[in-house]
Amino acid sequence: MNTPRGRARLQPAKVRIAIIGILVVLAWLGMGYRLVQIQVFAAPVLAQEGLNQRLVSRDLAPQRGKIFDRNGDLLAMTVEAQSLYAVPNQVEEPLWVAQQIGGLLEVDTDRLLERLTGDRDFVYLKRQVEGVLAEEILGMGIRGVYSLPEPTRLYPAGDVASHVIGFVNIDGVGQEGLELVYDEELTGVPGRAEFERGLDGTPILQGISDIVPAVPGVDLNTTVDIPLQYQAQQACKDAVKRTNADNCWVVVLGVETGEILAMTGWPAFDPVTRQTLDPKCDRLDDPTECRNFSNFIVRGMYEPGSTQKLITVAAALEEAEVAIGTTIHDVGDVLELRDDACRSAEDDLYGCYRDFKEHETRDMTVAEIFTRSSNVGTIMIADRLGQKRLVEYIERFGLGRKTGVDYTVESPGLLNFEAGCETCWASAAIGYSVAASPLQMAAAYAAIGNDGSWITPHILSSKTDVDGVTEVAGIETREVVSSGTALLMRELLASVVERGTGGNAAVEGYRVGGKTGTANKLGSDGRYTDETRASFVGMAPISNPKIVVAVVVDAPDFEFRTGGVAAAPVSAAVMEQALHRLGVTPDGEQR
Amino acid sequence: MTIRPAAQSAESEGLRVLRGRRLRKPTIAPWMVMALIAVVAFLGLGFARTSLDGSAFELVELDRAIAEQTALNRQLNLEIAQLENPARISPLAEELGLVIPEQTKPILVDLEPGTPVVAERSSDGTNQ
Repeated sequence: MNTPRGRARLQPAKVRIAIIGILVVLAWLGMGYRLVQIQVFAAPVLAQEGLNQRLVSRDLAPQRGKIFDRNGDLLAMTVEAQSLYAVPNQVEEPLWVAQQIGGLLEVDTDRLLERLTGDRDFVYLKRQVEGVLAEEILGMGIRGVYSLPEPTRLYPAGDVASHVIGFVNIDGVGQEGLELVYDEELTGVPGRAEFERGLDGTPILQGISDIVPAVPGVDLNTTVDIPLQYQAQQACKDAVKRTNADNCWVVVLGVETGEILAMTGWPAFDPVTRQTLDPKCDRLDDPTECRNFSNFIVRGMYEPGSTQKLITVAAALEEAEVAIGTTIHDVGDVLELRDDACRSAEDDLYGCYRDFKEHETRDMTVAEIFTRSSNVGTIMIADRLGQKRLVEYIERFGLGRKTGVDYTVESPGLLNFEAGCETCWASAAIGYSVAASPLQMAAAYAAIGNDGSWITPHILSSKTDVDGVTEVAGIETREVVSSGTALLMRELLASVVERGTGGNAAVEGYRVGGKTGTANKLGSDGRYTDETRASFVGMAPISNPKIVVAVVVDAPDFEFRTGGVAAAPVSAAVMEQALHRLGVTPDGEQR
Repeated sequence: MTIRPAAQSAESEGLRVLRGRRLRKPTIAPWMVMALIAVVAFLGLGFARTSLDGSAFELVELDRAIAEQTALNRQLNLEIAQLENPARISPLAEELGLVIPEQTKPILVDLEPGTPVVAERSSDGTNQ
């Protein structure tokens, strides 16, 4: 009914509806505007901010390669350990914490306290702690103390293989030995991962995902036999104890392959703590300073003494200057190459050469000179050779240059034939005026055992990468003497053990050949002292040599000073173990 | 003024008018089908996406389990190597009274030429 009264009642309602309607429309318009603003104009910026929050970029650390011995036994591998760290401003009682943790971690309490009270935001308490110990410390619930995973390198064989493998530093970078030589290959190639993750860190599959996987390091397969390495180390340790020597070194080479089956010495060192295992170190004020990581077998130099005579006599035979049965006349026990060089019985000056034992002047065959290790007789043989050819053969046998072994910082040795030196050739003929490493001497003898063929000694037999591809190490060979000369020299070496100075090197059931060496050490004044380096280099079985063993005993007591007494027994012990482990057929009793 | 004739009842002409609900053959409108498909597709998409998200969690868990087992395997290999270390075994052997023989003597066995080194099984199962 359209009455004035009804019209007045309708008006306010319509207005209210209209107002509400307008407000609703405005609200929707506002929302629409905001949607457009966010979804259209600000979308790229907001999307990028969101992506930045979700996107994680992470380096993927490669797994460091493992090292194995020739039997596939593990020598080095990386595992995950826990590194304990603290946030100093969160630690409530630093003194109490330092006292509690210091003993467990074997870290000086004062040093810990200094770190915990510093003004840094992050301090390490100890890196690469064993999992069980880390759990124990974290289980104490100390505020401000946390852990993070960190790889650590472990060496199951301990100090037995330390001179071969070497060690890494706290950051896993190779510092010595094979760890250093092959550090780049062992390390591998780091990867990179970029992916989107949710709030809880879970990767978002549908999001950006760009992963370049890490390439694990290459595994190294060595030629070393750990049980033999252990036996060799124990033999050296016994020798050091028996003769009161400063140290002992031994290397075992495969004759036909150049493989280093064992390379060790005593004192050894712990590759994890890098501390030398020498009881004498305990007597020092700071035993941690007693660190001798140097591998004398590869890096050292010594005057080989009578073991050098192998090269001199082999050269003379090869050049047909002498035969084994050739008689050298009037071989005395003293030889002066310079007038009045030998002023008195004890005065060995420049140009004076003496045999180890006094004897009357008489004729001696080449074989006898070699078997009895006559210095005078050997020099007389070398005289027929001449310096030029002597030097040529010394170099041909590998002295004076690196062998090329796959190890760190190899010593090339030293040949002293300076111009104007009238007697250097004579000294070199009997193993003085020449410096060589034990490895060089072993390789030279291995050439005789290998029918005159010199082979590069090597520790690595192959590498295995992630695809399983195995790469075999390259080896150099070269002829140094004929097989006939090599055969004659082997018989001479056997005679040294059977009838000469090397009797202590004999091994039951096998014919062993070798040469003893006793070289006086130079003092600080440039004169020779009574201290010696006693050595023995031998091979077996003589009929078809498989093994060469070189032993050097440094500064044994005077009563043990000769190679036959100090070094030959070590060779016998190691040789026997090596022959049995390789299953070498015995070639009969020593004649 | 127009005079309109009154409406004539259909009944008056003999037609019968039925009152009430009109009976019709039931049909589904096309728009309902489209709507249904859209809803199903939307639900399906949502389900697939959540499944994928769930798979991401499973994948992460699997990766974690693989990493744990790999680490455990590595640890076990390390333990084996440490146990096999001759420096560990030798002192234990000595404690048990084992000794390394000071002298060894190899024994060589002379075989008749043609003597088989490895035993061969005959047809009756015995070794020869």
